[in-house]
Amino acid sequence: MNGASGMKGHQIQSKILSMEVEILNAVHQRTLDQFTEGPSVKECRLFFLLLPFLSGKTWSMEIESSAKTVAIVYAALHSHDQIREETPIVKEQQLTVLAGDLYSGIYYQMLVSTKNIAMVQQLATAIIRVSESKTSFFEQKPRTMDEIEKAIIVIETELLMSFYNFYGYSEYAQLAKQALLYLRYAEELERLKSENFTHFLHEANTILLDKNYTKYWLMEKLCNLHEQITMSITDCKLDYELEQFLLHQITPHQHRAEQLTREG
Amino acid sequence: MEKMKLKLLYSDLKPELEMIEKELEQAVDSESLLLNDASLHLLQAGGKRIRPVFVLLAGKFGEYNIDVMKQVAVPLELIHMASLVHDDVIDDSEIRRGKPTVKSQWNNSVAMYTGDFILARALERITEVKSPRVHEILSKTLIEVCRGEIIQIEDKYKLDQNLRDYLRRIKRKTALLISSSCELGALVSGTDEKTAAHLRRFGYFIGMSFQIIDDILDFTSTDEELGKPAGSDFIQGNITLPILCARNDSAIYAMLKANLKKELTNDERLEIVSTIRNSSGIEEAKTMSERYLQKALRELSFLPKGQGVKTMRKIAFFIGKRNF
Repeated sequence: MNGASGMKGHQIQSKILSMEVEILNAVHQRTLDQFTEGPSVKECRLFFLLLPFLSGKTWSMEIESSAKTVAIVYAALHSHDQIREETPIVKEQQLTVLAGDLYSGIYYQMLVSTKNIAMVQQLATAIIRVSESKTSFFEQKPRTMDEIEKAIIVIETELLMSFYNFYGYSEYAQLAKQALLYLRYAEELERLKSENFTHFLHEANTILLDKNYTKYWLMEKLCNLHEQITMSITDCKLDYELEQFLLHQITPHQHRAEQLTREG
Repeated sequence: MEKMKLKLLYSDLKPELEMIEKELEQAVDSESLLLNDASLHLLQAGGKRIRPVFVLLAGKFGEYNIDVMKQVAVPLELIHMASLVHDDVIDDSEIRRGKPTVKSQWNNSVAMYTGDFILARALERITEVKSPRVHEILSKTLIEVCRGEIIQIEDKYKLDQNLRDYLRRIKRKTALLISSSCELGALVSGTDEKTAAHLRRFGYFIGMSFQIIDDILDFTSTDEELGKPAGSDFIQGNITLPILCARNDSAIYAMLKANLKKELTNDERLEIVSTIRNSSGIEEAKTMSERYLQKALRELSFLPKGQGVKTMRKIAFFIGKRNF
């Protein structure tokens, strides 16, 4: 069957929300709900997982189920990003480790229940690449900003790309990569401003020698990416509602405005 | 020493296990040098490889083909390894098998990503197996193991928990993966349903016995023998069978209660270990382990006689008679 093109903004939002609820129900566990921050299911990821459906492409229950499992894998890996180095480890952190492991089991079981073993393999391979890229931030070898960016792209988009490739939705790959990278850089910029340094920021500050240079680097990236996103939207031939939803809900571009305001 | 003795028991499987060891090394090969180092660090710390052994032994009851058996044996050991790396973060463990853990050698984040990487490799490999039943069993096992760990954290420091809580916990923590190893080995070698069920139950009972004995050894072995401080379970708040049995003595109960959640000095730790060691708790726990062992042996009696049963029986006896 085909997806639902021509949806209004509120219908798009509603579809994303209902998928989020289904994901939360799938991974619900009493103790984890009580002691951990719960699964991180970002709206932007759900939007891109649903984009082929929202554009009216071929879609089925199996594909929708696979899309949910990709979101669950994102949540699993995100849980493990939250583990800090403090010792002794507190109960919430212990349970956060297990939350990630449980979500991994759930994604596997969900795909098995639809006999979709090939997708298990696709996602497992993507997780390997993501884990390798995340670990690269702990390797003591010098690298360039381009190399760091490559790692970030894998971290942010590899799971989604494996889903697109598997179901033949590669036409959205470029747009999704640009948008997810844009959002990651926007987050990094916010963290930089509040001096809440991530591994990425530490490494960028070292390479670029000063956090102000990192800030300018990020702002420039955001501007370039936003232009690219606008062009990719045209290439993807998204309908007006979908385009507006993406530009205003998913990737609102405030950074250039901030910069201009500050520079008078 | 223990490991050496155990390996002698399944020396018939030596060539296959060497092949599996090589496959494990290949499986953790990564473009990331750090992930490679961390995974190999874990792999080379050794281990009894009990799960692959049970997969192979179960396979002896059907059409035994090592190329097929290893498709299950390798992922199961990888899943076990991944859970160990994450367990060490959960338990804040510095030492495992006498060597620094991944988290202490590197850090928690590297340990998390190493575990994720190894688990993904396991799933990537297991997809070579096309039988849906294999995946149903394995995915259910993975989830149950996690739930068991979550319950273990819920039950920490609860001195008043009951025996059923403990048994339910160790079933999920240990017995299920061993049980699944036996069942999956049987399935991929094409044994009949009945044989697979006996093997699954054998694995379950032996897993229960094995974990109870591990919990006893935590009090009856030295730090050197364990490769970690004796009494670690109690220090981490894990209330195991020897404690559940020993707590019936009111003086011991009061002492345990007073020392729960406390930062213990080495002398205090050793005193607790010694008290439990000399209590009736050890004997009672041994009796419980023996019961499971007998149940496991009974399951073997339903299986066709042969080398598979012989080796399984030897391993069962070895597990039942590990040094206390």
